[in-house]
This record gives sequence, structure tokens and C-alpha cells, in this order.
Amino acid sequence: MTTLSPARAVASRALFPPFVTAGLLLFLVIIASLLYGAGPVSPSDAFMVLAGSGSEEARFVVSELRLPRTIIGLVTGLALGLAGALLQSMTRNPLAEPGLLGVSAGSGFAVALAILFGASTATLTSFVAQLGALAGCALVIAATRVQGLGNDPVRLILAGATLTGLLLALTSMLMLMDQRAADEIRFWITGSIAGKPLSMLQATLPSILVALVLTIIVARPLAAMALGEKAAVGLGHHPGRIRFLIVLTVALLVGSATALAGPLIFVGLVVPFIARAFAGPDIRKTLWLCVPVGPAVVLAADVVSRLIAAPAELSLGVVTALIGAPVLLAIVRAGRMPSL
Amino acid sequence: MPDKRTTLANSSLLVLLLLAVITSLSMGTVQVSPPDVLQALMGNADPMTAFVVNELRLSRVVAGLLSGAALAMAGCLMQTLARNRLATPGIIGIDNAATAFAVASVVGVGLSLAPSAMALAGAACATAIAFGLAGANGTRGYRFIVAGIGIGAIAGAVTQVMLSRVAIDAANAAYPWTVGSLNARSGNSVLVLAIGLAAGYGILMLISRALNTLQFSDAVAIALGTRLKATRILGLALSVLLTGLAVSVCGPVGLVALLAPELARTLCRPGKVPLTASALAGAAFMVVADLLGRTLFSPLEIPVGIITAIVGSPYLLWILLKPSRRSLT
Amino acid sequence: MSQLSNRLRSTLLHTLVAVAVGSAGLGKALADTRTVESAYGPVEISGQPERVVTLYEGALDAALAVDANAVGAVITRGGSDVADYIKSEAGDIAIVGAPAETNIEAVIAARPDLILAPPRINQQQVALLSRIAPVVASNVPMFQPDSWERETRLFAKAMGREAEAEKVIGQVKERISEVAQVVSAKIPAGQRDAALVRWMPQGPLVMAEGLFSASLLQAVGFELTDKDLVKEGRPHSEPLSLENLSSMDQSWVFLATLNEDGDKALDAARKSPAFARLNAVQNDQVIGVSGQLWTSATGPLAALAILDDIEAAVNNIQP
Repeated sequence: MTTLSPARAVASRALFPPFVTAGLLLFLVIIASLLYGAGPVSPSDAFMVLAGSGSEEARFVVSELRLPRTIIGLVTGLALGLAGALLQSMTRNPLAEPGLLGVSAGSGFAVALAILFGASTATLTSFVAQLGALAGCALVIAATRVQGLGNDPVRLILAGATLTGLLLALTSMLMLMDQRAADEIRFWITGSIAGKPLSMLQATLPSILVALVLTIIVARPLAAMALGEKAAVGLGHHPGRIRFLIVLTVALLVGSATALAGPLIFVGLVVPFIARAFAGPDIRKTLWLCVPVGPAVVLAADVVSRLIAAPAELSLGVVTALIGAPVLLAIVRAGRMPSL
Repeated sequence: MPDKRTTLANSSLLVLLLLAVITSLSMGTVQVSPPDVLQALMGNADPMTAFVVNELRLSRVVAGLLSGAALAMAGCLMQTLARNRLATPGIIGIDNAATAFAVASVVGVGLSLAPSAMALAGAACATAIAFGLAGANGTRGYRFIVAGIGIGAIAGAVTQVMLSRVAIDAANAAYPWTVGSLNARSGNSVLVLAIGLAAGYGILMLISRALNTLQFSDAVAIALGTRLKATRILGLALSVLLTGLAVSVCGPVGLVALLAPELARTLCRPGKVPLTASALAGAAFMVVADLLGRTLFSPLEIPVGIITAIVGSPYLLWILLKPSRRSLT
Repeated sequence: MSQLSNRLRSTLLHTLVAVAVGSAGLGKALADTRTVESAYGPVEISGQPERVVTLYEGALDAALAVDANAVGAVITRGGSDVADYIKSEAGDIAIVGAPAETNIEAVIAARPDLILAPPRINQQQVALLSRIAPVVASNVPMFQPDSWERETRLFAKAMGREAEAEKVIGQVKERISEVAQVVSAKIPAGQRDAALVRWMPQGPLVMAEGLFSASLLQAVGFELTDKDLVKEGRPHSEPLSLENLSSMDQSWVFLATLNEDGDKALDAARKSPAFARLNAVQNDQVIGVSGQLWTSATGPLAALAILDDIEAAVNNIQP
């Protein structure tokens, strides 16, 4: 960190190529998401639709089923990727992932409660999910404020895992008490973006836009805070205020994503991990790179979830866990725990 | 040579366990008074009471008692080997892996091995992988734990995949088992667990001196004549064995392995590895948790794993979050 | 694997009991003692049982249909009580567990003198329950058109009420031919193709052609298909991807949920664009039905209730 300026120069030189590459990859994944599905509409049928012709059946499947879930996947990936990058940078812990820290579980528990009290997943407002995420975030922050814990990544992760376990147990209790709600909750907590109406996206869009603006605002001070609190204060920033804004941003992002797709674990870990690998330590570059990488990861996982069990589908949450857990192992394996 | 304090701790835990067992045998949809329970156990009760106590409840209580003791001993052992009170089989993913393998045998993916054997294989695999990933540090340090969390997540997802491939109603029926329940136990698994527990306890008592020295630094342990590598491997193998067998009976019941040794350490004399006290505390904890699960919302039953998670998680969070004088690792 | 060993054990048990009964001499049997064939071998029952505990929805239905005194039952799948269609008949019946999970202590508390069990109950449970009262587990193969009839007769024999059973089975057959006439009068031949579907949050399940309500639909003249989506021996398909909804598109779609009212399910389903474009939806030929009755229940009372549903739906058609 002492030889900052050369490192930055390298990072800024390196940002453009990976950003374009990731953008191209994202484009390919979007096309794949429109072409492949669990149903009888084949990639070539779907391609005809994209080219402007195609059967009525194929047009319906592509425009009414695959397009909406592609858009929802894009937004979910964007939100979770950014949330992970922000949280990791703020806690200086490469493992601080909203799913691992219990933020998603808080959101999920709130939604399960809402379902139990009669809301159905279709009518559910994203407000409930965001409230739960905020509560989860607040707990994480409370945990990092505790003396010593902020510098101990493993303890933070374990606290998150424990919180997640506790919330899952409580959710299971809710499911036992109401069999009718159980099916709906069980479907919801495994995570999926299939068959979600675009109206749900409209409900979450305002909070996502607010969160994006906040992300732009906090990016520079956050980069300064990476140099140390004193440096950040010297540059005229208020670490306390910035932290508060980041928590709010993460809660908005994770809450929206959870309302859309259910709790998707590990996305917030994988996306910044990839982004950091190419963007270097500068949080602003990492955030930029998360923009194409996040959606690409979620959509790729979704395409896998459609193909692997056709004519049925696997839940997206299971696929992201299967992709994400090895990344966690890779981070652990990568010698010394990289500090941020 | 058991000292006074340890003897006192063990005997009070034993009394606690006996009380828990008697209470558990007397409570349920059919109420049986504690004196009648004792009569039934001695074979002097009317046939229906004897049936309820001796055949319905006793087998369940015994299954809970044995699996609680096995989980707690495994936890205590692993904590000692890793010199880290957080390194318990549940936290490093062994439970989940054992469950994934056992579920595979239950939902029948073409493998025709008994759940016990499968759970053991799963536990062994998870430990081996966690070990491999932790590299030169062995069971020490954070890597082992974080690798375990990852392995646990993978195993959990695989279990989900398998359950999603069977008929929905069958999957719903299997659900309590994936969070840990004493309801789906099979007589054979309990028998295998009892044998494994007896053998494991015997071996551990033989090597208890060596285990005690593991709490010192390696140099001191070697100077005291401990064969480090052999002791560690044997200890780890026993820990895996006990966890796998317990999971094949009750599923991944969390936090017993963490809380019971914690209690045992508080009660016993410092400097010793409180294996017996851990086993007794774990057995009592499991029996009480299952009793709560059976009776709280009767006739509905709450799986025991949910009870231990709700009771145990706040305590674990407290351990993790309280400002500590010393590092946990 | 465990099923196999269960089967093996039951065969062994069967043989042993048969030998034992044979050597004891049938002459000893009292006039009112009868032997009922159950999934785990023959069971001796004497007299007319007065307190019957049913661990199976079909058994509860049969018991109530023949006016036996049912004192305990399991909850319906996805509910917290017995199924709605039978609630008034069952009255204030004690709940002794869920379909997959019997609370044996609750069975004891109900003090039964006969226990009727589902075909899939396991050997261990039967062994325990037999200590309380004679256990008759259905030995009728599932998912056949006449499974419910044979089950009703079996359970009625155990309850000593065979005459009542024949009467109610006769009633059902009469209703079948009545409803069949309505169907053939109202719906032209060639437009009677139908699918039975359960709407779940995960996606729709196509129910097997051999399911109880499905065979009633066939009996009254509908041509039902599961499009080979259902694996042999399973009650339904895996949840379909929304992209595959067209495979359940028949002239008629009977849509069930485990919610109390089928209308709610229909509303939820209609919000899905993939569902809204099905021909059956466009032609307003989707019938919302209760999943408790249509996808879980079996027995003569359930048959009568299902036939009423079909008749009402068909009578609603605007010519």
C-alpha cells in the first residue's frame, strides 16, 4: 500500500481490457439465456425469433418466459455483485459475503414471516425483504464494531454462519406450523428467477436506482478508507457517515435481489472475487468490473439450472452454491488470507 | 487418575442425564408418572404403560442419548486436536457431508449401502478434503474452518439436488431428517452407533494421557513422550467415526458438539480433556432438546436439530462476538 | 433396498402365520372371527370393532362411508386437519399424526380396537401398532382404476360391515353412470380430452392417469392423459418448467391445489402468462378443484364428492 501510485497506474491501465472482455462474455451469456431452456423450444427455434421470424410458440417462450427471467437475472446479479464488493471493502474481509454473513437469511426470514401471515410470493412487496436485509446488515455491523472481531475474518464468517443457521431454524419452525405456507416458503428459500413477473422488478427498481447512486457516491471515500481511516479523514471524508451509507446501500441491494430471486448464497463472493482478480485492489475499479461480471455469473448459473434437470428445473440457489463454494475453497487455499 | 473435581462434575452430569431420561420417558401424549416409569423399566407395569415406556419412548431416548454423547465426544476431540474451541464437526461441514451421503442411500441413487456406512464415508470424505485444503497447517488455524464451511455448503446443495429429484411428497417427508431428527432413526443404525461409541470411548480412555499433552505446544508434548502424529491421526479418525455414526441416526444435529464440551470444560479441572463429561453433557442436552421438540407443539413434532439450533446459536454468537482477552485460535 | 427387505420379511411372516393358522386348525375359530388379508399377512379380527383408528385418508373415508365409529385419523397432506370434504362426517375426530408420520402415543390415547393403515406403512410401524390393536394395512396395488373399490371392501371386511360397503359402492357406480350421461350429453365426442394438474409454487405437476380422481374422470367419459410425464409408480410428474406447460394443454384442465379453495389457485395460475395462453384457459375450460379432495383423497365418499364436482363443472358449460 505504500507504493500506491504505481499500483494505481497498473490498475488503471488494466481495467479497460477486462471490462470489455467481461462485457462480451455477458453479451454471450444473455444470448445463451434467450436461446436455451428446459422446454421444447430449441436454440435454433429461439434464434429464428431473435432474427425476427419463428413460430408463435417460440416467440412466446422467448419474449414472455426467457426474456423476463433474463432481465431479472441481470438485475439480481448486478445488485448482489456490488453488495458483495462494498461489504468486503468496508469490512476489509474477502469472505464478507451477504449470503455468508446472514444478510440474505435475515431477508429470507422476513419474507417467510410475511408468507406465513398471508402474503403470497407474487404479492410480496420488496419492502419486507429490504427490511429484513437491513436488520441482517445491522447485526453484521454490530459484530464488526465489537473489539477485535473486525480484524478476524474467520470469526466474522462464523458469526454469520451461525446467524444464518439460527434464522433457518426459525424459518423451519414457521414451516412446520403452517403446512400450506411451507410449500411456498420452501420453494422461495431455495432461490429461483423462473416465472417471476416483471411487475416485481418495477417494485424493486426504485430502491436499486437509489442504491446505484449511493454506490457512486461512496466509491471514492471507500477507496480512501482503504488507505486507512486517518488518510480518509485527512482527505476530508467522514468514515462513520460513509459506513452508514454503505450499510444502507448493501441492505437496499440485497433486499431487492432477495425479493426478486430468493436468497442466493455465494454470488456476492464469486463476483467480487473475479472482479478483484482483474481490477486489482482499487475498489472503484472492482465495482466497475462487477457491473458486467455479476449479471454474467447469475445468468450463467440460471442457464445451467434450466438444462441440468430438463424437463424440470433445478433451483438457482442450489446452482450458485455449487459454483460458489469451490470459489470459497479457492480463496482459502490461496495461501495467506488476502487482506483488503 | 480422576481427580475430585472431575469426579464431582461427572457424577452431577450423570444425575442430570438420569433426570432428563426419566422426565423424557414420562412425558408425551400419554402421561406416565415418574414412579410408574421406574416400575415399567423394572418390568412391573401394566402392559400398555410398559409398551409406551419401554418400546416407544425408551428406544428414542436411547438413540438421542447415544447420538448426543457421540457428537459431543467427537466435538471435544476435534477441539483438542485443533486447539480451537470452534473447530467442531458441525462447523467444518462433516455433518452436512455425512447427511448428503446418507440421503443418497435413502433416496436411492443406485447405491445399496446402509445409511451408517454411507454417512461414515461422507464424514471421512469431508474431513479428508478439509484437511487437504488446509495444507501444512493441519487442523490448526482458520483455513480448516473456512474450508469446512465451503464443504458444508457444497454438501448441503448436493442434498437439495437429490431431494429435488425424488417425488415431492417423499422429499417433504425427508425434510425433517435433513435438519436433524430422531424420528427417522433405524434400529440397526442405533445398534451400530452403540458399538462404535463403546469402542471409541474405550480407545480414547487408553490414549487420554496422550490427548492431554496435545494441549501443550508440540515440543512439550514430544518431550512428554507423546507420539504426536499417531495420536492426531487416531483422534481425528475417531472423531470422524463418532460423527458419521451419530449422523446416520439423527441427521446433522448442530451445536451439540460445541456446547457440550464447552459446558464440560467449565465444570472440570483445567488441563484435562473432559471426554467423559462432554459425552454425558451431550447426551443430556440431546435428550432434553428432543423432549422439548416432542412436547412444545404436541401433537406436532419439532425436529431436534431445530431446537438445538435455536437454543445453541445465540450462545455460539455470544462466544464469537464477546470481546475476548485471547484469540480463539 | 429397505422396501425389498420389508417385502421379504412380509413374505416370510406371511408363510409363518399361514402355517401357524393351518396347524392350529380352523375349526377353533369362532363364528364371528374372520381373517383379513393385509399387506403384512392375514389378521384375525372378531366381532364388529367399535373404535377404529385410520392412518390413511382412504381408510377414514371407507370407515365413515360404512358408518363405523372412527375415533382417530391423520391430517390431510398440506393441511392441519382431516380433508374439508369429510370434515362434517368426521366430526371432532382425534388427530394421530401426518400421512408419513404416525404419533403412536396418540393412537394409544384413542384406545382403538382396530387400526386401518396405508399400503406403504413400514414393517416396524406395523409391528408396534399391532401391540395396540389388530392392524390391517391395505394390500391393494395403488393407482389402478378399481383400487378404491378393493380397498373399501378390504377395510369393510375388517370392520365387519361388508353389506354397507356393497351398498355405498353401488351408490358410487350409479352416480358414475349418471354423470357419464351428463358428460356425453353436454360435451361432444372428440372434445373430452383432459389433464389433471396440481399447481405448486415450484411449477405444475401433471397427475398420473391411474390416480383415483383421474380414473373417475375416465369412468365418466373424459380421455385423460399424463403425456408419459409421470414415471411408473409415481403419483405425479416432477414440477414442469413453465416452458413445458404446453404439454398439459388439453381441451379440459382440472387444476388442483392444496389450498382450501381451487379458485385461489386458478387466480394465481392465471397471472402466469405461460398459463394464460393455454387453449383450455382461452376457452374457459379450466376447472379449479380442491387438491385435498382431488389429489390426496380416495374412497367412496371422496368419489361421490368428486363426481359432484365434475357434474357441476359440466353443467356450467354454456352451449
